Amino acid sequence: MSEKSKRPAKKKGGLHRLPVGFICVCVLPTLLLTITFTIIPTVRALWMSLWDSTALSLNPSFVGLDNYIYMFRDEYFLQALANTGKLLLVVPIITILFALILAFILSQTKLRERGLYRTIFYFPNIISMTVVGIIWSFVFHPTMGIVNTFLQFVGLGDLARPWVGDSATALWCIAITLIWQATGYYMVMHMASMDGISNEIYEAATIDGASSFRKFISITIPLMRDIIGITFVLAMSGTMNLSFVLSRVMTAGGPNGASTVLLQYMYQQGFVNGNFGYAMAITVFSLTISVILSLISRCLSSRGEEKR
Amino acid sequence: MTINEKSILRAQIIKWITRVFLILVAIVMMFPLVWNIYSSFKTNTEFLTNAFALPSGLEWDNYVRAIAKSELGANIFNSLFVVLETLCILMLCAIPCSYCLVRYKFFGVKVITTVYMAAIFIQATYIMIPLFLQMNTLGMLNNRVAIGLLYAAMQFPFAIFLMTGFMRSIPRDYEEAAMIDGCGPAGILRRVIIPMAKPGIVTVGMISAMSAWNEYPVALVMLTDSAKQTLPIGIANLYEIQKYATDWGALFAALVLALIPTVILFIIGQKQLLQGMNVGGLKG
Repeated sequence: MSEKSKRPAKKKGGLHRLPVGFICVCVLPTLLLTITFTIIPTVRALWMSLWDSTALSLNPSFVGLDNYIYMFRDEYFLQALANTGKLLLVVPIITILFALILAFILSQTKLRERGLYRTIFYFPNIISMTVVGIIWSFVFHPTMGIVNTFLQFVGLGDLARPWVGDSATALWCIAITLIWQATGYYMVMHMASMDGISNEIYEAATIDGASSFRKFISITIPLMRDIIGITFVLAMSGTMNLSFVLSRVMTAGGPNGASTVLLQYMYQQGFVNGNFGYAMAITVFSLTISVILSLISRCLSSRGEEKR
Repeated sequence: MTINEKSILRAQIIKWITRVFLILVAIVMMFPLVWNIYSSFKTNTEFLTNAFALPSGLEWDNYVRAIAKSELGANIFNSLFVVLETLCILMLCAIPCSYCLVRYKFFGVKVITTVYMAAIFIQATYIMIPLFLQMNTLGMLNNRVAIGLLYAAMQFPFAIFLMTGFMRSIPRDYEEAAMIDGCGPAGILRRVIIPMAKPGIVTVGMISAMSAWNEYPVALVMLTDSAKQTLPIGIANLYEIQKYATDWGALFAALVLALIPTVILFIIGQKQLLQGMNVGGLKG
């Protein structure tokens, strides 16, 4: 606003004429690449999801919404959807809860080495998901894994089982790995906004005799409601995205599809079975979920900014 | 006096309880990695005994085999190449673009900005099948240069989002002064904007370098020729092979090799990375 009112005359003057050539050179390459590698593929997915094209068929025919209708009769798709749903119900809640608790402790404590803890907790997040997946599949390894060795060591050897090879536990191995790698990331995000809470509020609460737990429930959580909303949605979209890599590396979707997730089923339909049209319908479906999640997070974050 | 002593004691106890709790969490966070590192020095027979046991000696041969018996050397080279290319293209394209979007009111600027903001939501993993068909049409499959280009393009929306935020906060007065001194738009960009937006640029660089180094799904689809694959794909393939060959020592050594560059980058750029998260708060 102040810019406009300050120099309205100069804007129209010769000095401020638009350097059209410069703008074209700056903006066009980026725009062209974005159109080629993001916009066109997305539009193509929408379009191709209406055709029954496969990797082999030369003349695909238009089938309208048949691919989408078929999707909800395909039991493997529904299984993948249910698995993704289970992860989305469990992983973000636990991740955000752990992240909040750790962030609260680290921002309240006056320990000298708190910076070190922050770095250590954040660390799993920078590792490649492939490496994370392989390391954790060894953690859960039936004979040489940490989990089973530990169980035997403490005398609970009966509980030992092939964690990733068992259809009852395979999905939860992925969930634990996701929580392990994401907690530190959201912790750092929470810490940043916790620093914004004035210390006086906590001091006042201390004088009133409030315990740390009480402060966490009655001060921190209510004041950070919007940020928690954002990180929660981000964690959901991260879970959807990253579960593909883990599921592929750790369990290959098995046993018997027990740990297949949405994006993995899409990959399988597209690149293993060659059903491009059907895979595109799954693409559009997953993308819609992801966009809805992102829009919610965007609304929450702009609401949070308005309040400030 | 005694009340005071009591409260000091209480504070000390709380301090130590917190410390023990945090150390336990730190162990959970770090142990899988530490375990991976020390296990990479075990012989293959040692693997079959106690999982927790430390190696009896340093089996460097694991590392030799990891590199010699796989494409790991080529994978590391490919990844380095792709990361550097991604960074070059990203910086060359996204910095000037962000500057123009922030400072000039040209035809379509609103639409273009909206397109980038919307494109943040479209993540490459979701569109990997149409992306594959697109690359196929362009004849860019199994092409390392094309992958770098693709990674850069995938980072544009986020990079532009972060950098426009940074550039908007730079006061215009500096540019006005440079203009009066006879500086053209390119000169202003190079001499005023880039130095001032440096923290934002470094953050974008860090995040992009890490995500390009670690990217798996898109590389999996685009690079099928084993000599051209990047490190995450190479490691995943190695894992598949070692499941049957059971040369765990070599596999663990390979995992450590994949970790080293990210760890170095993290130690150098920790501050920028964590700062960028507060500004951006988005992960690709």
